[in-house]
Parts: sequence; structure tokens; C-alpha cells
Amino acid sequence: MELKEKLKILADSAKYDVSCSSSGSKRKGDLGNTSFSGICHSFSADGRCISLLKILLTNCCIYDCKYCLNRQSNNIKRVIFTPEEICYITINFYKRNYIEGLFLSSGIIKSPDYTMNLIIETITLLRRKYHFGGYIHAKAIPGCSEYLVKKLGLLVDRLSANIELPTEKGIKLLAPNKNFGNTEKIMGYVKNNKSNKFVPAGQSTQMIIGATHESDLDIMQKSENMYNNFKLKRVFYSAYIPVNKDNLLPTFEKPPLIREHRLYQADWLLRYYGFKTNDLLDDQHVNFNLLIDPKANWALNHLQEFPKDINKCSYYDLLKVPGIGVTSAKRIMKSRQHFQITFKDLKNMGVVLKRAKYFITCSGKYFIDKTFFNKNFIEANLVLEDKQKSNPSRKQLSFFNE
Amino acid sequence: MNNIYLYQDDFISLLNLINYLIKNKIKPDNIKPLSYCPTLLDEVINLKIEPTNNVIDFIIKIGNNKIFNIIYYVFLSDNENKELIIYYFYLNLLKYQTNIIYMRNLRCVTKALKIAKYVGNEAHRLKGFVRFQKLEHDIYYAEIAPNNNVLFLVSKHFKRRLKNEYWLIKDVKRKILSIYDKKDFYLIDEDNFQINDLKVAQEENDIKNMWKEFYDTIAIKERHNERCRMNFMPKKYWKYIIEMSDE
Repeated sequence: MELKEKLKILADSAKYDVSCSSSGSKRKGDLGNTSFSGICHSFSADGRCISLLKILLTNCCIYDCKYCLNRQSNNIKRVIFTPEEICYITINFYKRNYIEGLFLSSGIIKSPDYTMNLIIETITLLRRKYHFGGYIHAKAIPGCSEYLVKKLGLLVDRLSANIELPTEKGIKLLAPNKNFGNTEKIMGYVKNNKSNKFVPAGQSTQMIIGATHESDLDIMQKSENMYNNFKLKRVFYSAYIPVNKDNLLPTFEKPPLIREHRLYQADWLLRYYGFKTNDLLDDQHVNFNLLIDPKANWALNHLQEFPKDINKCSYYDLLKVPGIGVTSAKRIMKSRQHFQITFKDLKNMGVVLKRAKYFITCSGKYFIDKTFFNKNFIEANLVLEDKQKSNPSRKQLSFFNE
Repeated sequence: MNNIYLYQDDFISLLNLINYLIKNKIKPDNIKPLSYCPTLLDEVINLKIEPTNNVIDFIIKIGNNKIFNIIYYVFLSDNENKELIIYYFYLNLLKYQTNIIYMRNLRCVTKALKIAKYVGNEAHRLKGFVRFQKLEHDIYYAEIAPNNNVLFLVSKHFKRRLKNEYWLIKDVKRKILSIYDKKDFYLIDEDNFQINDLKVAQEENDIKNMWKEFYDTIAIKERHNERCRMNFMPKKYWKYIIEMSDE
């Protein structure tokens, strides 16, 4: 078989893995290095960044996970790369600057240990024989021996094991050969041994969204729990795409992309904005509002804490304002030591004023008459703003003639 | 009449001129390179100041490396008022020193920061978007056409990344070449260098086709999003990105 055809099959079965980041590592080699901030080399037709050559070593698999294209019971063409083939493609793509490095995952062939050994053999070749210093993200195969995780971790920049679904119940239903225990064993080992030499760019994981009946609360609790217990760099969420027919799986035309987007927004709030899952969701509200982002939604439900004054409030208060991010909050803190900030200055600091203006005052001044400061007015405007953004051809409705 | 002060096209000359103007309390209507074509309303003044590196040390001393980089990045931009923006930024640097980057109520500061970011972003993007072709004799060759003059910044990146390869990057817009000889890179005028009979290496087509196949395969059809792709990878770059050049 031609190498190109093999590449097509093994890229096609790897594409549902979300992670493509290439940041967080400082590595140098005879051929190549890594960029600490990461570099995107291309963007595919779905708008996702391509920075790594994302492939499976093989699409042969002894498991039968219901949602997976490569499950044992699917009748598809099975192929396997040799280590030299993977090195050949990686090196040639890298030298032409198509890619930042390699993302290597695999179906389970024979056993987890056997598969891990193949992955290790490939990456050892790349690092030792070809002196490759580019970025490598490898998947650890849950259920493998601990010494193999150790060996692989010393070769790669990022190591990850997918949790697949947010609850153990979901796993039992759709991925009967897998369990949380094996995945978390790997995560625990990586967390305890992480260093400049071992998995320098840290670990990440991924969950499928919408294949089972878990709520956003279940998902966020699982994420929060993993961030706390395993110091993950990222949890990725992947809107379920029906690749198989199975009476255990939902059927729908479009993957739940807005829901996925809300989960990412909430994930950011957990990691950088000091929010907890319980601030955003509770037993009465187990799912995110699809019309409005989680931060604005939180602000609307805590309107008594607003408006915040830009020239007085604390850093953490600034972070709670919709439209103000970590960078702009830091800029505000620095700048206001030198001058009184006005609405006009905020625009120059990267604040998204069309969201923030409803929740702030500048030296006591609100952007319009303060009688408009109420939930209905603000909510209607924010929702309309988003509607217009997602559908630019439609003119925005306005309550007032301007 | 507009008083237009001229500098010798390079960064050091510009800084020396601005330094001189500020010291002598001269307020220029504009500052332009020697190649500038004056209009009827312009009075051009060429002071022919001897350039020295002292001014760079001075900027780093009262400011810091980050502030020096902001000024340098503005100089690399395609903004037509960049010289005047640097003049006013420098003027305020003397007053506010390292605090200047927080003075976002000053127009010259917000402008300079915005332009520097725009240049930095383009350089960063190109680190990803540059596409080398392998020529005979193991030389890697790429063409770019950036809005800003980022060839130096891009070359610095590839000096580290492809340190054991010979490579050439050509800025098609500015007609300059960056040549790397496995030790360092040199920027030279295209006219001073002939790329004679350089043929594409034999395996080049196979590799290119493999990459295109990979590119098409990795997209998830159910998630197709043209607008998102365009945001991250604007059309102006497509011509030199091989997987996009046929689109």
C-alpha cells in the first residue's frame, strides 16, 4: 500500500482527538526545537488549528467502544505504520515547516503493553536516531505497566490519557473495556513525576460531550476534580459526532457545538478567573444557558454585586466583569495608578466594552442613565448582541432609536 | 510649508534623528526615509546626522528591552505614520520612562502598542505559515509576502529551528532575501543574489501531496466552519501556503 493512503486512513481515525496544542515546552535538538507559546501551522476547513501531525500508529483495536470509528466490530480497512514510516513523514513535514511536531495515538493492538512498546519504539527512533527536537504529544494507553509510562514520559513533551466520558456509568455503557481507574492511574503517575525532563508540557485529557445523558454539572464537576487532583494543563471537550449506528447512542444531525463552546468558556472561568463549578451551576440549574455565556449569566444572577467601579474595585472584582479578561484586568490595575480611566481608555486596553459597559462605572459614571441598570434591560441587550454576532446579516433589534 | 526631516532608511538613523530633534526642541511635521517623494507643500530637511548606537543603550537604560522592542516593531510596520508615532512615543518615554506602557490614555502610546502587537502577531503567524520547498543540493526555500517587514524576526526563529539546514526565505513584496549558511543568516537585496538553476528536489511532489492529503483528511465535515478558518488564516497568506494555494 502506498504511504499516502496509509496516512489518509490513520489521520482520518485520529482526527476526533481534539488536542493540538504545542505549547509549554522548551526543548532543543539537532533538528528542531519547541516554541514555549506554541505555533499553529495551518487551519483545517473546520477552523481547528493544525500544529501537529496527528495520526494513529494503527487503527487495529481489540476494544469495542460504541462511539469509536475504530471499534473492533466495525468492518473497516485496518493498517499499521512502521516506526520508520512515521519518522519519515514527521521529519519531512517538519523540515518544510508544515508542522510543529507529532501527535501519536493508537488503537489497542494485542494488549496495552504491546501497543505502548510500539509507541515508545517509534518515538525513541525519532529522538535518538533522527535527533528530533520538535514537539511530541503521545497518548498513554490505559492499562499499561507503570514502567512504560515512565519510559514514554521521558521522550515526549506532553502525555495524555483520555477519560472519554464524564461518569463511570457512561464508561460502563459505551466503553465496557475501559474504566476510570486505569486512566487515573496514569494521570496520578504523571502528576507525581512531572519535571523538566518528564512530560515538561504537562498532561491533558478529553471527554465526549452529548453521547450520554450527563449534565453540564456532571461534566464540570469531573473537570474540576481532575484539575485539582491531577494538575492537568487542559481538559478538552469534544461534541459527539455519530460515526457509528448503535441503539445505545443518540442520533442527531448536528453535533452539540454551542454546548461544547459553553463548557470551554466555563473551563476557562475555573482555570483563570477564580470561579468554582458551584458558582456557575447547581441542582436547580444543571446545564448552561445556551443563549448567554456562563460569565455574563453569573453576573446577571448576581447583579447586586454590580456595577463595579473600574478605578476602585479589586483585581478579582475586575475578573468577574463580563468583557474583562486576565490581560485587560492587569492593564487596568497598572494604568489606574497613573490616571483616572474613562470608558474610552477601556477600549484601548482590550476590554470588550459592548459587554462590560453594563456592569461597570468609571469614577462613578454609568455609560447611560443609571435607571437602566436592571436585569431585563441588560439581559436583552447581551442576548441580542450575541445573536447579531452569530448572524451578521441580520440587523440588530434595538429598544431605542439612536 | 511642512517640515519633513529625512533619515537614511535604517532604524539606527531614525533613532539618532529623533534623538537630535527632541534634544534641540524641534517639532517635525513628519519624518520620512530618503526615498520619500516630497509634495509641493513639503520642505525636506536632511540633517545627515552621524548614527551611533548610544541611542539604543539610552532607550534600554531609561526604559527596558520590552520598550525598545515596541519601538523596533513599530519601525518594521507598514504604517505610514510610523516615524511620527515613534517620535511622540520617544518624547513621552523621556517623561514616563518604564511606566509609559501603562499610559493608555495617550494616543501615541495606544497607537505604538497596537502596531507593535500587529507586527508581532504577523511574525508569529508566519513562523507557522512559512512553507519550505526542498530544492536540489538540500536547500530549503520559501517565499513570503507579509504586510510588515518581519523577515528578520522570522529568520531568527528558523535559525534556531532549522540550524543544520541551508535555507532561503524571500520576501517577495520587499524583494529581500534571508540566506542561512548553517551558522548565521544574512538579509540581502534580491538584486545582489541570483538563484541560478535551482530545481525542486525529486521527492518534493510526493511529500507535498501527502501533506495535502493529510490536510484535507484532518477536517471534520460535521464541524465545517469557513469563517473560523478565515479568521485564523486570512486569505492574503494563502498564496504561499501550499495546502491552500489551489483553493
